[in-house]
Amino acid sequence: MSKLAPAVILLVAIATAPASAHITLEKRQAAVGSYYKAVFAVPHGCAGSATIKLRVQIPEGVIGIKPMPKPGWTLEMVKGKYATEYELHGSKLSEGVKEVVWSGGKLADDNFDEFVFSSYLTQSLKPDTTLYFPVVQECEQGVSRWIDVPAEGQAGHGEGGKTPAPGLKLIAKP
Amino acid sequence: MARALAALAALLSALCIASTAWAHATLVSSEPADGSVLAEPPKMVQLHFNEGVAPAVIGLIDAAGKTREIATRAVGQSVLIVLPDDLPQGTQIVSYRVVSQDGHPVAGSMVFSIGAVTGAAPPAKASPLAVLIWLARIGVYLGLFAGVGGAFFAAWIGQGPDGSMVGRIALAIGLVSAVASLGLQGLDLLNLPPAGLMTSAPWISALATSLGPALSIAIGAMAIAFCAWKSPGILIALVLTTSAMAGVGLSLAASGHAATASPQWLTKPSLFLHGIAVAYWIGALAPLAAMAYRRNDDLPRALRQFSAIAIPLVGLLVLSGLALSIVQLGSVSALIETSYGILLSIKLALVILLLALAVLNRFVATPAVVADYKNTRLLLRSVLAECVLVIGILAVVAGWRFTPPPRASIVPVVTPLSIHIHTDAAMFQVLVSPGKIGANDFVLQLMTGDAALLTAKEATLILSLPERGIEPMERRATLGPDGYWHVRGVALPQPGRWRMRIEALVTDFQKVTLEDELSVQ
Repeated sequence: MSKLAPAVILLVAIATAPASAHITLEKRQAAVGSYYKAVFAVPHGCAGSATIKLRVQIPEGVIGIKPMPKPGWTLEMVKGKYATEYELHGSKLSEGVKEVVWSGGKLADDNFDEFVFSSYLTQSLKPDTTLYFPVVQECEQGVSRWIDVPAEGQAGHGEGGKTPAPGLKLIAKP
Repeated sequence: MARALAALAALLSALCIASTAWAHATLVSSEPADGSVLAEPPKMVQLHFNEGVAPAVIGLIDAAGKTREIATRAVGQSVLIVLPDDLPQGTQIVSYRVVSQDGHPVAGSMVFSIGAVTGAAPPAKASPLAVLIWLARIGVYLGLFAGVGGAFFAAWIGQGPDGSMVGRIALAIGLVSAVASLGLQGLDLLNLPPAGLMTSAPWISALATSLGPALSIAIGAMAIAFCAWKSPGILIALVLTTSAMAGVGLSLAASGHAATASPQWLTKPSLFLHGIAVAYWIGALAPLAAMAYRRNDDLPRALRQFSAIAIPLVGLLVLSGLALSIVQLGSVSALIETSYGILLSIKLALVILLLALAVLNRFVATPAVVADYKNTRLLLRSVLAECVLVIGILAVVAGWRFTPPPRASIVPVVTPLSIHIHTDAAMFQVLVSPGKIGANDFVLQLMTGDAALLTAKEATLILSLPERGIEPMERRATLGPDGYWHVRGVALPQPGRWRMRIEALVTDFQKVTLEDELSVQ
């Protein structure tokens, strides 16, 4: 046991080191029924090519999207119908932002940047599950799709996790 | 104990997480280009990544199927691989696993061909390793048939310790041989020197082949038979020996040329029955010889009981054997024209002699013993002769490991491989032609779970061969006018169970991924 312990600690340390290789959310845990500031960290381009466009899909149950404008980038919000009606500040919403697009900028492969919007996580979301925000990163050459979502029953370490979608662990409202 | 368990759980989960953390170093290009066909053998291969990498494992499998020694050097964002000067004509595979700057491993494979795209035949081996593999195989057969069969006979028919020495020695030989078989198979696959047995690579590689489950079952069956000798009660012994016998059948049905032949509904049950019948017969030989030698007064009863079951079982043995031979050979002329057929002919000749001895036993020796239990001379002699024949037959059968059956060289040419993958989300039909080693064309028919056409924006085919350490290679499919996705000229240079993953991009944000295996010969 005493011999094993350092190995375990080392492995855990390796495993929990920030996965700087992927597009990820800065804050990976949030309570349902609360506001959430989503910060997408983009650590690199597509296989060495500069990023020129970032598209984030808003999952069902996430409303009140307000993106933070970004100098040098054009902001676009794609709206559509929700699957059900949600309530925000007493008013009923049946449609809203389904996709946020930043384009027209240029983020070199050896630079780092963050893309931000604020949102509201409705009570319809289930605590103790992971909510995924699929991201498509378009570059001068090529596209990286951060859209891999683990199949049900193998959450956490799913098949084909080569380009995982950024995930947010949902918890119950304290 | 709880702490140890917690530590183990932490270790396992850490391994799980660590293995999925795929990194961002990617192969940008290579020289020669992936999939290219060259007139002259290149001096080196250059892999260019988008950032600096450190090579961890770089492997080269040449067109003859041999794992080759190579020198590698990382220069900036590239890895240089110096190739041997004597590469054979055909398709070579470079499989790489590199560590990117953030410590994450990145793996993949690229192929290039000299002259033309080929598939390597499994390398012909006449090395000392081949002899060892052959001997280990005979050892496994001895353990399964004489060992497990002997324990079964002792529990059910002999009801005594006669022949237990032979049975236990056979089990010990079988267990050692089974472990050795696995290691030797691994050495053979990876083309490693014997010292390679000290590392995990050959073992992992061998376990990934069909021999892995087959030998694991064999080891389990022999271990159970060993316990049966020591079991305190007759009832436990009966249960243990019966399950060990089932293990013999399962083990044989799990591996080998015949187990992979189609139709599987015929070959697998045939092998299962064939194995059990053989174990019943061979297992009885040593105990019967021991009883005859000692002029045991229980011999007439044991003999009567043995032959009552033996006659229908021999019928099964012959029938299942015939069925398997017909499937494997394909034609009568193959009996003398192929090395597989020649081995089969020798086996058949020995089996006919063995059957003749069995008839002699049944109709002359057994009545003599039944009349007078001391009159065992004829029985003893013929049983001993049977033992010699059996060893000869097992030696011939073990030789099949080295000869592909004639059907292997006929069938794949005729029909393309067709693989059907069905999950709740989607249904993919994959046609691979010609479906054998060499250049292959893939046709992907993508359908939704309820068989409607699945419209995809992109489709990608990803192939790997874990048993030879070949990391995934990606090929983008193109949509044809027929509505199917095509990938042409995919080199599958090595036989084996390839893993195939198909990723279909349904919308910009969603893809469907299905996986299956592809058996290439």
